[in-house]
Amino acid sequence: MVEFDPTEHEIAEIGPEIKDVDDPDELREMLELEAEGEDRAPVKTLIEDRIEKVEDDEDGEIDPETVDLSEMTVADIANMVRDVDDADVLRDILERETEGKERSSAISQIENRIDSVEGSEEEDGEPAVFKPPEEKYPELDHPTNDKQWVEGTVGGDYRDMWVYCETQAGELIDVSKEMLGKARTLMDDYNDEYGGSEDGTSSGEDEKVIAVLVGADASKHVEDVIAYGADMVVYHEDDRLERFRHKPYTEIMCDMARAGGPLAAEGREDVDWKEYHEPRYTIFPATNNGRDLSALVQGELDSGLASDCSGLYIENEMISNPAKTGGTSDKKEFERVLHMKRPDFSGFEYSTILCIDKPNRDFHPQGASVIPGSFDLPEPDHDREGEIVEHEMELDDEWFRVDVTEYDQLDEGVDLTGHDVIVALGRGIGDDPTRGMELGLDLVDAFDDADLGITRGIVTSSYEFEGHVEQYSAEERQIGETGQVVEPDVYIAAGISGAVQHKVGMDESDTIVTINTDTDADIRNFSDYFIEGDLFEVLPRLTEAVERGEFAKAVADGTGGKNDD
Amino acid sequence: MTDHEHYEAVVVGAGPGGAAAAATLAKHDVETLVLERGVDAGSKNVSGGLIYAEESAPYTIDDLFPGFREQAAERPVTDYYIHNVAGEKVKTFDITDLHEHDTEWSDAVLRRKMDSWLADRVHEKTRETGGGLLTEVHVNGLLRENGEIVGVTCDELDPIRADLIVAADGVNSELARDAGLMSWEEPDEWFQGVKAVVDVPDVDERFDLGPDEGAAHLFSGDLFEGVRGGGFVYTNEDTLSVGTVFHLDSLVAEEAEPHELLDSLLTHPLLDDWIGEDYEELEYSAKLVPDSKKVAHESPHKDRLVLVGDAGGQMQAQGPIIKGMNHAVTAGALAAEAYVEARSRGDTDLAGERYATKLDREGVMDKLRPTRYELASAVGENDLATSIADGVLRSAVGRFGVRVLGDRLENLYSSPFLSMLAPDTRTPYVTMPTVIAEELGTRVTAERTIETPDLADRIGDLTYNTDVGNPHIELLDNSAEASGAAVSACPVSAKDFGGGCYREETVKTNGDEKTAVSLDTQPCVECGTCAIVADTDWEHPQGGKGVEFREG
Ligand SMILES: Cc1cc2nc3c(=O)[nH]c(=O)nc-3n(C[C@H](O)[C@H](O)[C@H](O)COP(=O)(O)OP(=O)(O)OC[C@H]3O[C@@H](n4cnc5c(N)ncnc54)[C@H](O)[C@@H]3O)c2cc1C
Ligand SMILES: Cc1cc2nc3c(=O)[nH]c(=O)nc-3n(C[C@H](O)[C@H](O)[C@H](O)COP(=O)(O)OP(=O)(O)OC[C@H]3O[C@@H](n4cnc5c(N)ncnc54)[C@H](O)[C@@H]3O)c2cc1C
Ligand code: SF4
Repeated sequence: MVEFDPTEHEIAEIGPEIKDVDDPDELREMLELEAEGEDRAPVKTLIEDRIEKVEDDEDGEIDPETVDLSEMTVADIANMVRDVDDADVLRDILERETEGKERSSAISQIENRIDSVEGSEEEDGEPAVFKPPEEKYPELDHPTNDKQWVEGTVGGDYRDMWVYCETQAGELIDVSKEMLGKARTLMDDYNDEYGGSEDGTSSGEDEKVIAVLVGADASKHVEDVIAYGADMVVYHEDDRLERFRHKPYTEIMCDMARAGGPLAAEGREDVDWKEYHEPRYTIFPATNNGRDLSALVQGELDSGLASDCSGLYIENEMISNPAKTGGTSDKKEFERVLHMKRPDFSGFEYSTILCIDKPNRDFHPQGASVIPGSFDLPEPDHDREGEIVEHEMELDDEWFRVDVTEYDQLDEGVDLTGHDVIVALGRGIGDDPTRGMELGLDLVDAFDDADLGITRGIVTSSYEFEGHVEQYSAEERQIGETGQVVEPDVYIAAGISGAVQHKVGMDESDTIVTINTDTDADIRNFSDYFIEGDLFEVLPRLTEAVERGEFAKAVADGTGGKNDD
Repeated sequence: MTDHEHYEAVVVGAGPGGAAAAATLAKHDVETLVLERGVDAGSKNVSGGLIYAEESAPYTIDDLFPGFREQAAERPVTDYYIHNVAGEKVKTFDITDLHEHDTEWSDAVLRRKMDSWLADRVHEKTRETGGGLLTEVHVNGLLRENGEIVGVTCDELDPIRADLIVAADGVNSELARDAGLMSWEEPDEWFQGVKAVVDVPDVDERFDLGPDEGAAHLFSGDLFEGVRGGGFVYTNEDTLSVGTVFHLDSLVAEEAEPHELLDSLLTHPLLDDWIGEDYEELEYSAKLVPDSKKVAHESPHKDRLVLVGDAGGQMQAQGPIIKGMNHAVTAGALAAEAYVEARSRGDTDLAGERYATKLDREGVMDKLRPTRYELASAVGENDLATSIADGVLRSAVGRFGVRVLGDRLENLYSSPFLSMLAPDTRTPYVTMPTVIAEELGTRVTAERTIETPDLADRIGDLTYNTDVGNPHIELLDNSAEASGAAVSACPVSAKDFGGGCYREETVKTNGDEKTAVSLDTQPCVECGTCAIVADTDWEHPQGGKGVEFREG
C-alpha cells in the first residue's frame, strides 16, 4: 500500500507531495488508485509526469560501457556520448553499434565525438589534416553544396568597408549617416595602421568606405553619402525598387559585392571599379529592413553577422581556438579584425563578436548591423569628392513576385529644425489658450518659412484647446531638453519664463525676441530683444509689422510696433 | 507550470533594509538576487542622516557590514541640541542624554555614498550564492499563481519566482500595496521630509568640532507657520544636511509650501554662522516618511512576501529623533533569519509568520507602536484637548509654569518616556516650543540673510534621466477638489509656479470657469506625496529613469 493516496487530497496538495517520491512503482500504484477513485485528469497528468521524470532520471544513470544500444534512439546515443570523454569507451560504443543496428547517423555522431575528444588532446600542435566536407561525409547531401562559393573562398582578397545606406520614403535616414561617419573614422585609422593591402600583392592603395544605395531614386542621394564620408558610391536605381523587398535587394547587393572578382557569377562582365573577391567589412542599419537584408546578404556571401551592434572597432586579436588556428596549440594573431560590440537582451552586459577565417574557409565579409543612434551624426562636408558607380544588372521578374499593394506611413511627428523663424508659446497663453495659439499661428503664417513651437508647460497643461488648434499642443512641438533643439535665425518666445530645460533647446538661435509681462523672467537674460507686454496684444502687432515688412523695426523699438499704430 | 527563472530569495530594494536582508541571507548560503531600480544604490534615497546602532537591537549595520562607520558614514554625533524658536528668540536645550539613551553609536550619513558602499558588499556576498545585485531594474508587481504570491514581475526582466520575497522597497513600496498590506490613503499617517545638502567645507571650525566629532541640531516652534513638525541640521564631513520633517496632514491643512518651510529654517539667523556668506546648495530632495505609530504593519507578511523597513511602515519618530534606517536593518536581518530557520525546518512558507514573531520578541514592534502612545493619543490628539492644552500653555498660568520650570524643562525634554508619549498635535511641536522660546529665549540676530535658490533653480540643478513619453504618475482626477492639494504639498510644485509637477490652471469652457490641476512628471523627485494627497495612479519610473540623487 502506498503512503499517499491521491484520492484523499486536493489537487493543489498533490504536486508538492509526490515531488519527493522517486519510486516509479509506487507512483504507478497511486495512478491506479486515482484512476479507480476520483479519476481527475490533471491529477493523473501530474503523476504521469512524475513517473516520466523519475524514469528519465534513472535513465540518466545509464552506463555507456554496458548499455544496450539497440534499445536507444539515435538522439539518446548522441546525448549519451556527449558526456563521454574517454576515446576508448567511445570506440567500444562505436564497435557495438557497428555490430548491432549499424545506424549511419549514430555512427557519425560517435565518430564526431571521438574526433573532438581526441582533437582536444593533441599536444604536439600538429595542424589537423583538412578534408573537404564532401570527402569527409560522402553520404551527406551537404546543405551548402549548392553554393559554388563555399569552398572557393580560402585566402581570398578582401577590401574596403561597405555601408548599406538605407532610405525611407525617399530620405536618407539618420542611421545611414551615422554609419558613414563611423566608417570614415574607422577606415582613416585603418589606413594609418595598416597602410593598404594585407599581403602587398594588390596595390598598396588606401582602403575605402563604399556606400551602397538601392532604390527607385537611389541616385538622388549619391552626393549626400559622399558628403557624409563615403569614398565611392555604388548605386542601383530601378522604379521597381521603390519599396524594400528582400529578394531583389539581396540579389543586387550580393552581385555588387562579388562584382569584378573571382566570385562574380559566371558570365558576369568585369567592372572597372573592383577586382577583389568580396568586401572586407559590411555594415547595415539594424532597422526592420536592414535586419532583414543583413541576414540574407551575409548568409548568401557565406559569412556571419553580428546583429544589433552598438560599438565597432578594428584591432588585431590573439586567438587560441583550435578551430580557428588550425589545431596548433599556440595562439595565433589575426589582423584587422572588426570587433562588433552588442548589448545582450537585458542591456546589462556586452559581448564582442568577431568573425574570423578558418584555415580552410574564409569568413568574409565581417558583417554587422548597427543600432540607430549608436554613433554620432557627422557633419556633412559638401566639398568632399568621391567616385560614383552606377551598378547595372538585370532584375529578374521572379524577384518581384511579392507585391506591396498597400502601406501606411507612421506619423513621423513634426520637425521644427531648419526653419528661418520659430514662434514659441508658453504658459503665458493661459488666460485664453485657444486665442493665444491662434495669435501665434497668425504670426507663423506672416513669415515665409516659420513654424510653431511650445514649451513643456503647454504640453502637460490641462488647457482645453478648441479643435482647430489642439494639434499644436502636442509633445511633437515641444522645444527643449526633452523635446527638439532648434537654431532658427529668429526665435520669438511669447509667454515663456525661460527655464533652463527650455533654454537648451533654443539658445543657439541667432536672434531671440521675447514677449513677457514679467521683466524679471529668466528668459530676459538670454534674449536679444525683450518686449515687455501682454502677448495677447503684442502678437497681433508683430504680425502686422511682419506683413508690412517692418518686423525688425517693431522689435527694436521694444514694443512690438505699438508706436506705429 | 510556467518556467520562470527561480531564486531562493529575491530582495527588492537596496536601501539599508534590503542590504541587511541580503547580507544575512547570503551569510546562510541562501541564493539571493537583489533588484534595485536606481542607476546605483542610493541614487533614489533620502534620509536626514543619522543612523543609530541601538544597544537593545539584535542587529546593527556595523555587525553586518564591518568597516561601515569608517568607510560609509560621515561623522559620529557627539553633540545634540534642540532649539525652541519664537521669531528671533531662541531657547536651546542640550538633549545629548536623550540622544544617547539606548544608543551604542550614531553617525551622520549621506545615502548615495552609504547605499552604494553597502551595495558593493551585498553584490560580493550574494554573488557567491549564485545571485547578485542588479541595478536599473524596476520591480512593478507581484507574480501570483493560483492567487498566491510566488515571485515578482519587473519592467526590465522576465518574471522571477522565489521562495522568499523581501519587499525592502521603501516608503512608496509598490509591492506592499500590490499585496494589500499597505495603502496610500490617510495623510495623517505620514510625514514629508525635505532636505538640502549644503556645501560647507569648514564644518570643523564653524561647529567647533574635532575630526571625530559631529553635531546635530533640531528645531521646533513657530518657524514653520504653525505646521506640525520640525527641522534639523546635521554635520557631514564637509557639508551640512539641513531638513524639515512635517506631518503631511498638517502640511495639507495649512496649504504650506515645503520648499518655503525649508527656506525659513535655512534663513533663520541661527544658521547664519554655520553656513557663512556663500550659500551653495548641492542638492534639494524629498521623500515621504512613514509614522510607525500609525502604519507599522503588525503582521508584515503574506504568502512568501515579507515587508522590511519603510515598506512595512517601520519608521519610528521618537519625539524629535527619527529612527528608520536602524529598524530597517534589524527587520531585514530578522526576516532573513526567519527564512533560514523555516527552511531548515523544511517549510519555507513559515518564514513570514516567524518574522512577525521575531519583530515582537526582539522588542522592535514595541518601539514602533508603543503601547503607551496608543493610550495617550486617545486623549491627546483630540482637537479639544489640543486647544485646552494650547490655551493653558499660552495663558499666564501656563507661561508662569514654563518660567518656573526653567532649565528643568531641559530634563523633561530629554526624557525618552515623555517623547514617546507626546501626541501628534500642535502642542509639543508648535505651542510648547514657542512659549518656551518666548519666555526663556534669547534673541538671535544675523548680519545677513542667505539667499536660497528658487524652485526652478533647485529643479534645474537636479539630474534627471527622463523617460520621455512615459510618465510614471497618472492623474486620475484633475479637479481641484481631488488633486488640488498637491500643488502646494508637492515639494517641487508651488502655487503660481509653472515649472513644477502640479500646477493650478483656470480652464474656461463655454463661458464656464473651473480650476483644474495639471501634472508634468519630469521634475518629480519621487517623494510619494501626491500618491496620498491627489487622485493618481502612482508608480515608480522604470529602472534607471527619473531623478538621480548624488548626495541623498
Ligand atoms: C528627510 C528625511 C529624514 C530622515 N531622517 C532619518 C534619520 O535621521 N535617521 C533615520 O534612521 N532615518 C531617517 N529617515 C528615514 C529613513 O530614510 C528611512 O526609514 C530608511 O531609508 C528606510 O530604509 P529602507 O531600506 O526601508 O528603504 P529605502 O532606504 O527607502 O530603500 C528602498 C530602496 O528600494 C528601491 N526601490 C523602491 N521601489 C523599488 C522597485 N519597485 N523596484 C526596485 N527597487 C525599488 C529604492 O530605489 C531604494 O533603494 C529620514 C527620512 C527622510 C525623508
Ligand atoms: C527633466 C526636465 C525636462 C524638461 N524638459 C523641458 C523641455 O524640453 N522643454 C520645455 O519647454 N520645458 C521642459 N521642462 C519644463 C521646464 O522646467 C519649465 O517648467 C517649462 O519650460 C515652463 O514652461 P513655460 O515657460 O511655458 O511656463 P512658466 O514657467 O509658467 O512661464 C510662463 C511665463 O509667461 C509669462 N506670462 C504670463 N502671462 C503672460 C501674458 N499674458 N503675456 C506675456 N507673458 C505672460 C509669465 O511671466 C512667465 O514668465 C523640463 C523640466 C524638467 C524637470
Ligand atoms: S509629483 Fe508627487 S511624487 Fe513627484 S515630487 Fe511631486 S508630490 Fe512627490
